[in-house]
Amino acid sequence: MATSAPPSASVEARVEGRRPTLEELKERKARSRQRGQRTGELMTLSLGPQHPSTHGVYRAELDLDGEVIVAVRPEIGNLHRGVEKLCEHRTYHQIIPLTDRLDYLSAFAMNHGFCEAVEKLMGVEVPPRGRYIRTIAHELCRIANHIMWLGIHVMDLGTQTFFCITFRDREYILDLFEMLTGARLTHSFARIGGVAKDLPDDFDYRCRKVIDFIPKRVAEYERIIKYNRIYHKRTKGVGIFTAEDCYAWRVTGPALRAAGVARDLRKDEPYAAYDEVEFEVAVEYNADVYDRFLVRMKEIRESCKIIRQCLDRLPGGPFLARDAAHSLPLKKDVLRSAPAMIQDFYHVFHGPHAPKGEVYRAIEVPKGEMGVYIRSEGGPRPTRVRFTTPSFYHGQAVPALCEGEMIADFVAIFASVDVVLGDCDR
Amino acid sequence: MSDAVVQLLFLIIKALLMSLIIVTMVAFIIYFERKFAGFFQSRVGPTYLGPWGSLQSFGDILKLLSKEDLIPEQADRWVFRLAPYLIFVPAFLVMAVLPFGPVGGEPNLFGYRFDYVIANFDSGLVLFLAMGAVAVYGVVLAGWSSNNHFSLLGGLRAGAQMISYELAMGFSLVGVMLMAGSTNLVTIVDYQAGGFWSWLFIPQVVGGLVFFVATLAELNRTPFDLAEAEQELVAGYLTEYSGMRWGLFMFAEYVNLLVVSGIVATLYFGGWRAPLAVLDFIPGPIWLFLKICVLIFIYMWVRWTIFRYRYNQLMSIGWKVLLPLSLANLVVTAVVVNIFGD
Amino acid sequence: MSAGGGAERPLPASLLAADRAVLDRFGARILERIEAFGELTYCVAPGDWTEVLSFLKDSPEGAFDQLDCLLGDHLPEREDRPLAVVVHLVSHAHGHRLRVKTALAEGQGLPTLTGLWPSAGFDEREAWEMFGILFEGHPDLRRLLTTDDFEGHPLRKDFPLQGTVGGRIRIDLRGKI
Repeated sequence: MATSAPPSASVEARVEGRRPTLEELKERKARSRQRGQRTGELMTLSLGPQHPSTHGVYRAELDLDGEVIVAVRPEIGNLHRGVEKLCEHRTYHQIIPLTDRLDYLSAFAMNHGFCEAVEKLMGVEVPPRGRYIRTIAHELCRIANHIMWLGIHVMDLGTQTFFCITFRDREYILDLFEMLTGARLTHSFARIGGVAKDLPDDFDYRCRKVIDFIPKRVAEYERIIKYNRIYHKRTKGVGIFTAEDCYAWRVTGPALRAAGVARDLRKDEPYAAYDEVEFEVAVEYNADVYDRFLVRMKEIRESCKIIRQCLDRLPGGPFLARDAAHSLPLKKDVLRSAPAMIQDFYHVFHGPHAPKGEVYRAIEVPKGEMGVYIRSEGGPRPTRVRFTTPSFYHGQAVPALCEGEMIADFVAIFASVDVVLGDCDR
Repeated sequence: MSDAVVQLLFLIIKALLMSLIIVTMVAFIIYFERKFAGFFQSRVGPTYLGPWGSLQSFGDILKLLSKEDLIPEQADRWVFRLAPYLIFVPAFLVMAVLPFGPVGGEPNLFGYRFDYVIANFDSGLVLFLAMGAVAVYGVVLAGWSSNNHFSLLGGLRAGAQMISYELAMGFSLVGVMLMAGSTNLVTIVDYQAGGFWSWLFIPQVVGGLVFFVATLAELNRTPFDLAEAEQELVAGYLTEYSGMRWGLFMFAEYVNLLVVSGIVATLYFGGWRAPLAVLDFIPGPIWLFLKICVLIFIYMWVRWTIFRYRYNQLMSIGWKVLLPLSLANLVVTAVVVNIFGD
Repeated sequence: MSAGGGAERPLPASLLAADRAVLDRFGARILERIEAFGELTYCVAPGDWTEVLSFLKDSPEGAFDQLDCLLGDHLPEREDRPLAVVVHLVSHAHGHRLRVKTALAEGQGLPTLTGLWPSAGFDEREAWEMFGILFEGHPDLRRLLTTDDFEGHPLRKDFPLQGTVGGRIRIDLRGKI
């Protein structure tokens, strides 16, 4: 259409729903970062690790020219717990609780990613009911994570009221998790070959109530935020990161989808029950903080749709693979049947049997793509485990995202790529 | 007793009483801010101390007083100690020129004339602006003397912000001065005698809005709380302060809130005067108190609702929107006053 | 090799095309080509590291535009070349994945990948601190997750699980725990 418009005019023409070309995006990015081209005396500001908006213990050394960020030097590792070393000395079952502590805001997604990798290594087939329950739990976890993200992101932009509203809504999800898994934050719910427990009796009813309720809340968030002019001023055109930048810095998840790439491992490399449900991949095109917000809001809605479909089609049968060599027996059988008891002893005192080999499995966790690399020499313990967590790379990309923007934008951009330091430092 | 002695006595009584009232009110403003913040955020706010937690502020003061007084080693100790008072004292001073009832006229108390104002001061409005300007020094010096980069940035932000917004604020006040023909707050209130329809916010709606927005910046409240922007600068110029020194800043902030609400009520909403002649039986101080309460609630409402601007946006609003608006308001007011004025 | 491995899982057609292109170009310089669990793995010599990977990134059949992860590994049973670097690549254009490995002797350097994929920066720092693999040309090869004065490379298999090696805790706790 108006392709012949002068480039300077197109910079301002950020119309909702209109898809900007790559050149436009690059020019917007250059324009928003021109402020960094000045020269002057630099001041070094050590932001973090004890800082309200570094979402944990991230530390960034900022070189400031007035309010403009000239250079960022990220420092991570303040929350390093050596999970990968710990994994080498535990059986596959015992590693699952460790993965909770990676991204503690979406703990189930981490369990799930690890179990998918182990199942790929061992060749375990998850029964349909187990896959559906996993999908439900994973999507609940995504909703909780995005709602929490929204509250924190908005609080970083200066309003604290909204934070409490989102936290209240997140409680409903956590209540569901408590009902489902017995824990609110670190669930350790996934098992090799399925999940730990079946759905409780009235889970279906309660879960439906929540997923009917959440889209209404999302509509309300949008009423509060989406039409707020100050929010627009703070987020539109800020922190532009085009698809190429995202590939180069391995920025995945909502930040990549906000750059116009319909990349979602739930669609592209389906796992659990994602190939059996219908959902849309949320995509936006302006690659800025505002669009990352839009993508996440869309994802919450899509997650509700996925959960509803899973509840509708929930198959019967076992929720944990009947695979004596690789998965735990049901707890209720352990004291009643001899084979189950032997199986339990075998798994607790020895561990599951894994073949020799190496696998890499990536899944779409709320924050981006999380990959798990396992090298096994056979036996119950992995020889090398590597968690490729999204926050690690998002934290690394912060210099590329922020240089040239202002110090207030650093906070907004850092929040917009959703870094959790447990995930980042492992 | 001679009139002069009695007036001096009245002055002392009024000053003491006013200080006491301010201190008490501030304690309750802080309580209400927290309570309202709680309600806005679907929490309950303070509940433990006193009925509905209403004595929470006094508990906080005790806690702050009992805390260790930390001064950073590299700080400029003298300036570091001075800064809180530079904010605290000017905030109090403005209350002296705020009329809270009728001034002048025949004797009304034990045969003596009791003026419901501490200082019937001809350039009261100028004093308000001047004291606002002095308070900037407190913020800037606090930021500078802490020897902390966050504090320094906060102090610089506050300095730049207050200077830019004081311009718009001053110009929007000139409209009121022109209409009332005086900078004396007593005269300005008297000009608004005659009920709701003679209040100045009706002709001065643009100026009033500019003034309100500028006071938000002056008070360092969202959307203009960049000087202490918690999520960016930890606590801005307050970062290194602790204990009661920090408490003084907090206290001064709320005294400022009270004062600014009083000034807005006085300038634009008829001060202590009743909106309708029928309601004149309610004494002036109560009217002023009610108006201040409503205004303070509005300030809280704004604070807990909207986002914070970025620094360059704040500046562009100050210089590109508020200043031209206030100037236009000034020109229009001047022309209208010149043509229709008597 | 493996019982549970999904060796029967076929590789995607686009990956096979890339595979052919790589084998045509490098031939025997791909030291080993492993197909297991539905994943394709190349082993290359450290000298061919940059060349192979930049070919994979730039060739239209491969088009591996994202480095999914780079990790170090320690195989003490392989005495002459105990260290390994493993790279996982993703192509957004084709949607396929590939693993490339190389084996390194103790103290042998490897050219950095930060020029090809900037995201390799943290990964290589981590591989350096955890395994002592030196990446030549890395702009900022410092310790990443451990403290700056940490001694040793903690993810090596011979790194002690208990004790006082490295870290800021200088109190000798031996015999007390």
